[in-house]
Order: sequence, then C-alpha cells, then structure tokens
Amino acid sequence: MKKLKLVCLLLTASMIGSCFVACTGSEDKEETSATTIPSQIETQPTETEEQLDYVYGETFHSDVPVTYTMFFSDASWYAMQDSWLTDGIFKDIEDITNVHLDIKSYDSSDYMNNITLDINAGEAAYIIPKIYDDSAFVDGGAIVPISKYVQYMPNFVDFYNTYNMQEDLLTITRSDGNYYKLPGMYDSTMPDYSLLVRKDLFDAAGVDIEAIEKDYTWEDLCDALVKVKAYMVSEGMCSESDYIWSDLWCGNESGQGNGGNLLKLMGNSYDVNAGWAIGDGMRYDQEKDEFYFSPTTDKYKEFLKVAHKFVAEGILDPETFTQDDSTATNKFFNGQTAIISVNKSQYANFVSNLDTNLGAGNYEVYYAVAPRGLTNYSPAGAGRLECGVMISQKALDELGEEGFIKMLRFVDWLFYSKEAYTLCKWGVEGKTYQVNADGSKSLLPGMCCSGLGYANDEEGSMTDIRLEWGYAGGNFWYGHTMEEASDHFIPPVAAFVEHVGEYRDAVPLSPGLAPTEDQTEELNLIATPLIDNVNTWTLSFVTGKEDIDAKWDEYVASCEGLNSSGLVDLYAEIYGK
Amino acid sequence: MAISSAKKKPMKVKENLGYKIFLVVNYLIMLFIVIVTLYPFLYLVSQSFTSEQAIIRGESGIIPKGFNIDTYKYVLKGEFLSYYKNTIIYTVIGTVLSLVTSAMLAYPMAKSELKFNRFLTPFIIFTMYFGGTLISNYILVVGLGLKNTVPAFILPMMISTYYVILMKSFFQSIPKDLEEAGEIDGLSKFGVFIRIALPLSKPIIATMTLFYSVMYWNNWYNAFLYLSKKQWPVAYYLQTIIRGVGAKEGDGDATSVSANIKSCAMVLTVLPIICVYPVIQKYYVQGMMLGGVKE
Repeated sequence: MKKLKLVCLLLTASMIGSCFVACTGSEDKEETSATTIPSQIETQPTETEEQLDYVYGETFHSDVPVTYTMFFSDASWYAMQDSWLTDGIFKDIEDITNVHLDIKSYDSSDYMNNITLDINAGEAAYIIPKIYDDSAFVDGGAIVPISKYVQYMPNFVDFYNTYNMQEDLLTITRSDGNYYKLPGMYDSTMPDYSLLVRKDLFDAAGVDIEAIEKDYTWEDLCDALVKVKAYMVSEGMCSESDYIWSDLWCGNESGQGNGGNLLKLMGNSYDVNAGWAIGDGMRYDQEKDEFYFSPTTDKYKEFLKVAHKFVAEGILDPETFTQDDSTATNKFFNGQTAIISVNKSQYANFVSNLDTNLGAGNYEVYYAVAPRGLTNYSPAGAGRLECGVMISQKALDELGEEGFIKMLRFVDWLFYSKEAYTLCKWGVEGKTYQVNADGSKSLLPGMCCSGLGYANDEEGSMTDIRLEWGYAGGNFWYGHTMEEASDHFIPPVAAFVEHVGEYRDAVPLSPGLAPTEDQTEELNLIATPLIDNVNTWTLSFVTGKEDIDAKWDEYVASCEGLNSSGLVDLYAEIYGK
Repeated sequence: MAISSAKKKPMKVKENLGYKIFLVVNYLIMLFIVIVTLYPFLYLVSQSFTSEQAIIRGESGIIPKGFNIDTYKYVLKGEFLSYYKNTIIYTVIGTVLSLVTSAMLAYPMAKSELKFNRFLTPFIIFTMYFGGTLISNYILVVGLGLKNTVPAFILPMMISTYYVILMKSFFQSIPKDLEEAGEIDGLSKFGVFIRIALPLSKPIIATMTLFYSVMYWNNWYNAFLYLSKKQWPVAYYLQTIIRGVGAKEGDGDATSVSANIKSCAMVLTVLPIICVYPVIQKYYVQGMMLGGVKE
C-alpha cells in the first residue's frame, strides 16, 4: 500500500513538474516580430545576389547544383509522368537554373490532407505550392512568415509595386503583421465562373442575350427563361413540368452543402455572402465602415426571393442542390436544359460534349456575363489574389539564411518571372509553341492542350503538352498580368472576360482582418453551427420547402440564437471598432 | 461432452391463420430487404454495361441500354489493372503474415501458466482501446524509412488485437492432454504448436484468413497515408474516382469521371469478395462464435 502511495506521489509530482516545464517553454517562445505591409517594397541587394548575378529581368541560375524539395499536387486528369523529370518541365527548370526539384507528389484529391500531415509531422517539403487557405498552418510555426523576406524577391517586388498590391496583401495578413503565403497576383480581377446559355434557343424565343446581358437583372433572366421554356414546350423539346435549368457545382459533389457556385454568383450581385462564398457570413459595409452578418439582412431576403423565383417559375430544378454534377451536365449536353454554370476551363469541354451529343452546327452557345442584383458587382468577386506558395520553416533551418535567400530567389523566378511563367504555361518555343507575327503565342501543329483550349483531333493523334511534358499544369501557373494570363484564351472566353470588365463594377475590397489564434478559434466556434443553420434554411427557402415571408423571422431568430450578434461583436473587436 | 445420438423429431408448428399471416408478412419483409439491397448492385452492374451516350440521355436503369463491354475494356487497359495487381499482392502477403504473427502471438497468450502472461496480455489488450495518434504513427513509419514501401501498407495493420483474442480463446479450448501427449512423445513447445495446435485450429484459421483478407482488400487509408500513386491498392483508386474529381472552386479545369467508368471499377473491385463470400460465409458467422464458448 505504501508502495502504491509512493508511485501515485511520484506520478503527481512528475505531472506538476511537466506543467511547469510546459509553461516555461511557452514563456521562452520567441515572439514573432511583426512586419508592416508597406505600400512599396524596396528590394534588398545582398552578397548572395551578387554571387548569383540574379537581378530582376534575368534568369536565376545557381553556380553549383542544388536540390530543393517541393510538394506537388498531382491532378489525376493529367497525372504526373516520370518522363517529366527527364524530358519535361522539371528537366527544363533544372537545365535553366541548375536546381533539381525533389518532388513529393500527392494526388490532388487528397493533396491538402497529405501535406497537412507531412507539415504537422515535421516532414514538410521546402516549397509548398497550390495553397488556397494557409490559416491551418500559420500558428504551428512550420511555415515561414514570408513577408519578412519578400524584399529579396525582385520579380515579386516589381509586380507588387507596379500594381499597388498592398491592399490585397493586407487581406491575407495575420495578427502578427505577417503574411505566410506568396500569393498568385493579377493586375486586375479575373472573372471565371458565369453562365453558358443555348443562344439558339434564346434567339428562337425572342431573347437577344448579347443585347440584354449588359444590364439585365436576375429577374430579367428569369423572365427570359420563361420565354425560352415556352418555346421549348411548343417545339416539343420538353414538357411543362420539366425544368430547363439543372445546374452543376451546387449539389452534393461540389456544392459543399451551401448551394455552391450558383448561390455564390447570385449572392455576390446582392452584396451578400452565399454559396461557395458563404464563409462566416460576415461582410463589410463601406459606408458605415463596419462588418455585418449578411445572411440576416434584407438584401439576403431579396436574394433568396429571386433565387426561389427560378424554382417557383419551373425554370431551375430544385434537385440542383443535391444532385451530382454529371446529372446536370448530361442534361445540358443532351439538350434537355438551356442554361448551365460554366468557367473558362470548362467552356471548351462543354462545347466538345455538345458537339458529340447534339452535333456541331445544331446549336449555338454564349458565355454570358452573370446578371446584376442590387449591385452591379463583377462575378469575379473581390481581390486580385489567387492560390499561392508557402515556404516551410524547415527550409530556413536546413539551408541557413543565405541558402534560404538563394532558394527564395529561385522561387521568385519560378513563380513570378515572365520567363518561367511562359515556360510553365506554353513549354519551350519551337518544341511546343511558336510566337506569331503579331506577338501572340500558339501551339505548334500536332500539339494540343485541353487546359489551354487546344482540343485533340478525333483520332486523338496529337500530342498533349500537359500530359506529355507537364506544361500548363496548375502547380506553377499563377497570377501575372491579364495580358499574360489571357494569352491563350479562345475568342468566346476572351469576349466574356472583356464584357465582364466593361459591364460590371469591381467589388470593393474589405479591410484585412488579423485575428489572433484565440479569436480565430472563437470565430470558428460561433460560425460553424451558425453557417450550417444558414445553409439549411437558405436551401429550404430557395427550393420552396419553407415560405420566405412566413418563416423569415423564425430564421433570423435561429441565427441570433446561434450568436450571430456575438460574431459581429467579435469582428468589431478584431477590426478595432 | 455427451451428445445424444438419438434423432429428435422435428417439432411441427401448428399452421394456424396467425402463423400464416406471420409467414406472409415475414416473406414480404424479406423480399423488400432483398430488393432494397440487391437493386443498387444490379443497377451498378447494368450501368457498367450501359453506353455513355445512354447515361448522358438519362436512360440507365436495371437493364443496360446500348449494351457494350467497352467500359470494361477501357478500365482494364488503364492503370486500374496495376492497382488491382497491387491489391492482390498486398492481400496475399498481408494475410499470410497476419495469420502467422497473430497465431504465434495468440498461442502463448492462451497459456495461463506462462510466467509473464498476466502482465503481457493486458498490455496487448490495452492497444485495442488506446492507439497511437495519427501523427505519431506517421512519424514512426516515416522515421523507419518505410514510406512509399509495401511494408508501410501491411505492417501497421498486420496484427489485429481483436482477432488475436479470438484466436487465443480458440487455442484455450484445445485440450491440454493432447499437448502434453505431444510433449511426452518428444515434441518441443514449438513442435506442439505446429504439429498439434495448428492442425486442430483449421476453423479459426479459415475464419481469420477471411477476416484478414477482407481487411487488406478493402483498406485504403494506409495507402492514403504512406503509399505513392503507383503503389495504390484498387480500393484507394476506387475511393478517389467515386469521390469524384468534379471541379471545385479553384480546380476549374477538373473533369468528372463518367458514371459507367465508376460503376465498372466498383463492380470489378467487389467482384472477388462477392465470389468468395458465398463459399466461406459460414466461417464468417462461425468465426464470431469460435472460442466464445468454453467447455
């Protein structure tokens, strides 16, 4: 018995001791010094730069061969081949820079899960591309606060300074005053998701989509679709009970239970968060200079009413919000529906499928600008940033500061120089592409690439530069100027991008918020059940399961019951109001 | 245990109206369950033989439209076959190793007279309730240099504590007299295990073979954690294509996998298990009972 007491005593003492050790450890933890995000960054020449003879506009080249590890998101629809290392993009990069990339490849479907595991287990690669949301990695200390080092990156700095990226970078800046991701940067917003309509059916129904898209509203579109449906019914193409809009990216597969792309597009035009963009529901009021919970506003109610109108008029299939994407695309390819969501990359694919199923020449489609709501906001949304690259702390620890800066210069060349952008996107001049007399680029005869909009022939005899050599893949090809980003657009896509810029207004940027770790946790604690509730009610309202006017107060009360006002208060606290 | 050799007369149930109604209702419920469970599978098989055009037209049903085997040709000439080969290799090697190691662990555990058994057995059982965390397991496997190797798939699940306990219970039911007789005849402890205990344990070994092989066949999680794409088992490949690579925000150029290809892959993946189950399903039920009842 005495022995047992002694053991218990020892265990208790060791537990208390370990607590003290833990507390001491946290006190000893080095405070991350904050860096402010300047309006203009000054490049900082170093001895390393002189040794490398690498300045803006020149190609990075290491005098001695070096190896950097890099994660790679391997897309199954253009899976990485071993030949890319010996006769493809990685070999080209090595030939030019003397840098061997040691690739840790993970399938794109589980990429984030796999790299999260590696990072948490201390097995991170030096270079971590294809990162959309870096918030999960910021507090762990495994990722370098990269804003402290961007002055060593001449191409990044040039773009930042030329296009005044300060406001955009502030949106990803954390509470310690640093950002942890090198984002892809555009010089202006790049529209992508919008609507593809069967122009032949619209024309036959007496709706000139090209004429009305400049300032039509969602109600106008609904009225137009009623006419289109009437025409389709009269022609025996569908019955009165059929829906002529069955949309993808909204259901179980990719809609994420919140209505996905369609509600995001509609919500954006009503200045509310919805669908893919629901986030935590918070939106910034430019006039009042404060954040508010958008899903309980009158604007949200109007958005719900117009979304429901499409269902109530027998236009939009309510199964849109539960079905697989292929159900929606099959109906469109088969001619059963007259409108569907589309993005730039899928445009060529949709047209190809329509050719197969309806026959080329038997239909006409138009990539239309999404309608206006209460605002005239661009469907591109706010901001000029896209996914980006993180650099692991392991790189700094293992390479030392000098070696780390050298690696950053390589990263700068690879992700921000025009030379590397062209290489990663188009391949090698004379091998895969040519520069035409007017300065434009095109693939050489015999080459194709679905990612660039160059389809293979019917026999499949052409060489796909993405499958064969790894060019035009998603791991390197970020941001840059609109001129560069659009140099492969086929005419209908280019026209769409031009129309969005011409017809719609840019969405104003919200001020960047930098919650602390505790505040982030509190935000998540409030937002998770709250947004689940919003999504459930939203889909019930849109599909007509619940009457919007009759149940609106009950819905608002349920949000308040889940502490929506607490969320607003927390935002005010973080914003400093 | 004395068993009466006299055959008992089967008890005749009086088939009154209530019993007949019960039978009809019973059969109807059974029929409903059969239809509910069988229909999705038949639909799957049908869809795998349906042409893509028919699927796009929404004409897939229980009877294949535009019957063809092109999907099977397409799937079997691609990477699917190599994933299938991987699964067979992992299942065969894994099952053999699991049986050997589990039996060798369970047998001494069944010997209460062994000195340290009362300490070791709780330690082994402890692992059933408290496992290492994901990160610690991952660090261990990576630290051992096993990542992207076949052992990384097999070793972490080679010994299932639950199955070991089932085997232990069975070994305990083997009469001690037989083992003592073997020792008197000159067999070593290991000889007794090989020559006496194992031959008497065919039912439990058959059951464990089924349990372990199904476990390896269906496992995808270890592949997700530890294996490179070329080493994937078919279950993980299937999981990725069923989950779909449908375009999400940011993955703008992703394309969906056709429904007939998904169906075909699913049919091919479950086919071996479906073929094997009717033959050995009796062991499945027996296995749960084996060792559970002592003399």
